[in-house]
Amino acid sequence: MSASNLKDLQRELENKANDLSKLQKEIAKNHQMRKKYTVQLGENELVLKELDLLQEDANVYKLIGPVLVKQDLAEANANVRKRIEYISAELKRLDATVQDLDEKQNSKKDTILKLQQRIQSLQAGKGKA
Amino acid sequence: MKESWKKGSVTSLASVFPVEEAQKAAKRVEDAIADAQNELHRARTFVADNTTLLNLVHKLPEQLSHQIMVPFGKAAFFPGRLIHTNEFLVLLGEGYYAERTSKQTVEILQRRGKSLDSQVDSLEANIKDLQAQLSFFNATASQVAEGLVEITETEDYVEKESNEGESKSGMFSPPFLSDTAYNFKEYAYSSSPQQDAPNLRNATDDDGDYARILAKMDELEKQELAAESGNHSDQSDESTADFDEISYRGHIENNLQSSKDFQQSVLLDQTNDEDIATEFQKKHDHKDVTDQLNFANLAVQSRDREGENFAKFVESTDPSEKIPVLSKEKAVQATTASKTEVRHQTSQPSFDSRKAFTGSIIEHADNLQTNSRNESSASSQGSGSQSSKPVSRFKMQRR
Repeated sequence: MSASNLKDLQRELENKANDLSKLQKEIAKNHQMRKKYTVQLGENELVLKELDLLQEDANVYKLIGPVLVKQDLAEANANVRKRIEYISAELKRLDATVQDLDEKQNSKKDTILKLQQRIQSLQAGKGKA
Repeated sequence: MKESWKKGSVTSLASVFPVEEAQKAAKRVEDAIADAQNELHRARTFVADNTTLLNLVHKLPEQLSHQIMVPFGKAAFFPGRLIHTNEFLVLLGEGYYAERTSKQTVEILQRRGKSLDSQVDSLEANIKDLQAQLSFFNATASQVAEGLVEITETEDYVEKESNEGESKSGMFSPPFLSDTAYNFKEYAYSSSPQQDAPNLRNATDDDGDYARILAKMDELEKQELAAESGNHSDQSDESTADFDEISYRGHIENNLQSSKDFQQSVLLDQTNDEDIATEFQKKHDHKDVTDQLNFANLAVQSRDREGENFAKFVESTDPSEKIPVLSKEKAVQATTASKTEVRHQTSQPSFDSRKAFTGSIIEHADNLQTNSRNESSASSQGSGSQSSKPVSRFKMQRR
C-alpha cells in the first residue's frame, strides 16, 4: 500500500516538475519579449524626440519595405506616439504576465518541495519498517 | 545552570550558505559580468562609429562635390562623384528618415552620442556593481570553505552598539565590546588584521597591569597546584575568584597532548595569523607552560575551552573531515590565544566593573587534547566564578 502510494507521489512529483520547467520556459520567453519591447520603446522615444526637433517643413520619409514613402511630419509624429503607446501597453501586459507566472512558479515550487518531503518521509518510514 | 549563562549561538556559516551555493552564485554573477562587458563593448563600438560619422558629416559639405569610388555589387567599384554634399537623409529609427542639412545632422549625431555615452556609463556602473557582488560571493565561498562560524549573542550581554540582538559576523565591534565580536570582526574582514597587531603590541606593553596580573596568577597558581591533586574543580573554583582561568590550568597538561578531535576552526586572514602567531610564540617560548601560570597558560586555557566548546557544539569530530587548511590551524589557535591576552589587559583599565565576555570562538585545536570531562567542569567553574571576576574572559556556550 505504501509502495503504491510512493509511486503515485513520485509520478505526481514528475508531473509537477515538468509543469515547473514549462513555466520557467514561458517566463524566459516573456523576459525576452520584454527586452525587445523595451529596446523598441527606447528607439521610438528617440525618434519622437528628433521629430519634435524638426521644423514644420522638414521632409520625413518612412521606409516601407524597399521604398521610402514621404510622410507628413505631423502624421509621422502621431504614428510614433501611437506606437509608443502601444509598446507601453504591451510592456505593462507582459509585466502582469510575468508576475502571474512568477506566482505560479513559486506555488509550484512549494508543492514540489512538499511532495519531496512526503516522499522522503515515506521512504524513511519504509526504511525503518 | 548551563542555561542560565547561555548567551547566544554559534552557527557554522556553511549551514547557512553551502559552498556550492556560494560558488553557484559567484558563477552566475560572473556570467552577468561577461554579458555586461559584451554589451559595453558593443556600446563602445557604437560610440566610435558615431564619432567617425560625425567627423565625416562635418567634412563633407566643405566641398561641393567629392570624387569617390561607388560600390557596385559585392566586389566592384566604379569612380563617381558625390554631389549635394549638404543634404543628408538621416535614419531616425523605426524606419523614419528625415532630410537634414549637415549642421542639423551633426546635431542629431551629437544627441545620439550623448545617449550612447550615458549608456556606456550605466553599463560601467553596472559592471562595477556586479564585480563587487562577485567578490562578495567569492569571499563567502572561501569563508565557508574555511569553516567560518557566525556567532550570535543575546542582547543582555552585549552592549548597545553591537546589540539589537546580535553581533553579526560582518559587524565591527568596538575593541572592548566582547571577545567574540572583536575576534569575529577580524575573521570577517581581512582588512582588519592591521588593526589587531598594534592593539596587541599596546597590550603587551602595558606592563603595570600585566605584572599585577602575573603576580596574582602566581599566587593563585600555587593554590591551584595544591588543589590539583585532590578535587581540583571545587578547589580551584574557590581559588579563582579573580581568575577563573586558573582553574583550568590543571587541565592544560592534558590538553596539550595532541588530538585530532576538533576539526572546525575559525580561520583568520593568513597574514594576521602569522603576525600574531609569532608574538604569541615568543611569549610561549620563555615561559614554561607547566611551571608558571602565565599568559600562555591563559591562552591555552581559553583555547582549550574553545576547542571543547566546539567539540560539544559541532559533532563533526571525525579526523577525516579535516579542512584542507591545516597548516593554518596552529597559527590560528595561537592568534586567538594571544588575543585573549590582549583582551585581558586592555579590558581591565577600561572597565571598572567587570566585563563579561560572551560568545565563544570555535577553534580547531588539533594539537590540544581536551578531555571533555575536564572541560565541562572547567566551564561550570567559569560560570560560577564569573560574577566576581574583574577581568574579561571567554565563556563557552553552546547551542
